[in-house]
Amino acid sequence: MTAVDYINLLISSLLLAGIYAAMAVGMTVIYGVMKIVNLAHAGFLMLGAYFAYELFDRFHLHPMLCAALALPVFFVFGMAVHWLLVRWLPKSDTPTLASLLLMFGFWQVLQNIGNLVWGTQAYSILTPLTISSVRWGEISVPKVSLVVFAAAAASLVLLRFVFNYSWFGRSMRSLIQNPYAAQIVGVDDRRTAMLSFGLGTAFAGFAGALLATLFPFTPDFGASFQLRAFVIIVLGGLESVSGVALGALILALLETFSINLPFPWYSHGWTKVYLPASYQPAVSFVLLVVALLVLPRGVAGLLERKWRTA
Amino acid sequence: MRGFPTGGRLKVILPCLVLLVLALLPLAEPSPNMVKVIFITALWTTTSLAWNLLGGFAGQVSFGFAVFYGLGAYTAALMINEGATPWIAFLAAGAVAAIASFLIGLPTFRLRGPYFAIATIGVNEAFRVVMNNVDFTGGASGYRVTEAGPFRQLEHYYTALTLVTLAVVVSSLIASSKFGLALRAIKQDQDAAAAVGVNPYLGKLWVHAIAAALTGMAGGVFARYALFIYPGGVFSFQTSISILLMPVIGGIGTVWGAVFGGIIFGVVEEQLVAKFPNIHLLLYGLLLMLIILFEPDGLMGLLRRAAKLFRRRREDSGSSNPDQVLWGSGRAAGREL
Repeated sequence: MTAVDYINLLISSLLLAGIYAAMAVGMTVIYGVMKIVNLAHAGFLMLGAYFAYELFDRFHLHPMLCAALALPVFFVFGMAVHWLLVRWLPKSDTPTLASLLLMFGFWQVLQNIGNLVWGTQAYSILTPLTISSVRWGEISVPKVSLVVFAAAAASLVLLRFVFNYSWFGRSMRSLIQNPYAAQIVGVDDRRTAMLSFGLGTAFAGFAGALLATLFPFTPDFGASFQLRAFVIIVLGGLESVSGVALGALILALLETFSINLPFPWYSHGWTKVYLPASYQPAVSFVLLVVALLVLPRGVAGLLERKWRTA
Repeated sequence: MRGFPTGGRLKVILPCLVLLVLALLPLAEPSPNMVKVIFITALWTTTSLAWNLLGGFAGQVSFGFAVFYGLGAYTAALMINEGATPWIAFLAAGAVAAIASFLIGLPTFRLRGPYFAIATIGVNEAFRVVMNNVDFTGGASGYRVTEAGPFRQLEHYYTALTLVTLAVVVSSLIASSKFGLALRAIKQDQDAAAAVGVNPYLGKLWVHAIAAALTGMAGGVFARYALFIYPGGVFSFQTSISILLMPVIGGIGTVWGAVFGGIIFGVVEEQLVAKFPNIHLLLYGLLLMLIILFEPDGLMGLLRRAAKLFRRRREDSGSSNPDQVLWGSGRAAGREL
């Protein structure tokens, strides 16, 4: 491979990191505030994709407009889910099996509804953007990836503002830091939890709509992305929103380069071999276990510790 | 066996009677389909009991039992294809699963509670992906078991029955042993358990290995019956969830809860898939949500409640707190503001 190939790979993994971050951030918000590992995230991603598809197919809206519309719609949907199901779960400092299983059950229900409504064949959203690309010398980038990256980055910046400068964002951060102290100073934890669940779901729907423009999708398509989201939030330290961006970057780089970089291997003398592309998912899952073992507070936590001691 | 609603000798006599009826059932010439349902149910119940050893007694929730089920299935399949006696193949399946459990447990039991649970999801998926790509077992397209001799369903039936009896006996022995007591101590408070001389790390490793061996043998028996296995089936996350769902349905942390859960799941799953192929996931998800929201102690919780109604005058000895594995310690410790 030439240097240009590596640059192309680097750019595409950076662009992938953007959508990965948008996809994982909803999970972090929900985990941080409620300590619920949201296994229904995959269902929300899937619904977001079909939401975008239906709007695109029936009303010929621009896919990015569909994604933007997914934000408010899934916000309300998420709050409804919280009101109906999630608020009955007991509060706990650590994720409980009850919450995992409840969300898993809900995911199964969503997936089955998806199967009933749209069947099992793959759909995709094709626009002129999908096939055209921006060229700059030998470097070429698909336009749709650029647009999706821009949308994802914009949404993350928006979230950053909500988090830092709004009353709701402050109460969310305080609940993440110390739920007991937050309640003592008057944060309404039930209301904040409901809004956070809405926010997390909104981001899942939004990311699902963005993913739909990049990849073909079926009702099962959320599962692999959910596990990636999981790896990302573990790398990011589970509760830190800024850690998500870092985790997404690490995962995207590793996923891209693990199958494109040769590594030395011994068979009848040292040779260089490539990891088969079908092993790519295993890389992220092994990364998940390793990250949990050696970086219990995520990469961000590690860096923080380094800076503090330095 | 704590919390079984009827006391005394009934606890021992009733299971023996059930076993006797099941063992003599072939005399009544049941339909092959009925034998199949009981066979599958016995296998599911075995895995349910195995999961309950680790999840219910020691309080370590694992989402990765499909790894052992799958490894057992593949080991037995490979050995039977090589001409090994099925019994040897099943024992080897259990041994391979137990070895795998040590390899998985050595690093992951450094993690506590929910983090262990999360790590097992990763282990499970990594195994599935690797098995999808391994050449000598046919990769994702699956592996066929070819055994010399005719297919005798009743032989499979008795194998499964033996296995589930073994699982019940092992579970009961552990439940009433010092080891079981140590496991319960680990579940309630790992640090306190360590302080009174229980080694939590070793305890978890051993119970994980026993659970893995039982699950692996169940996988092996399944492979010999099914004649065809593929990673998307035996190694799937769905299988892991099914295995963990059964003790939840029945009631976590009790031997009979795991058995009831396995029986209900086995029968209902077979019926659901047969009758509603399009919406069985929907029904399954709804059932799960309803159990979690309305009866977190599962069937054993319901039975306990019913028993309490009968014996209202007697003093209530059972704890009224829902299981800590399922509901976390926040509520039990009264830290809610």
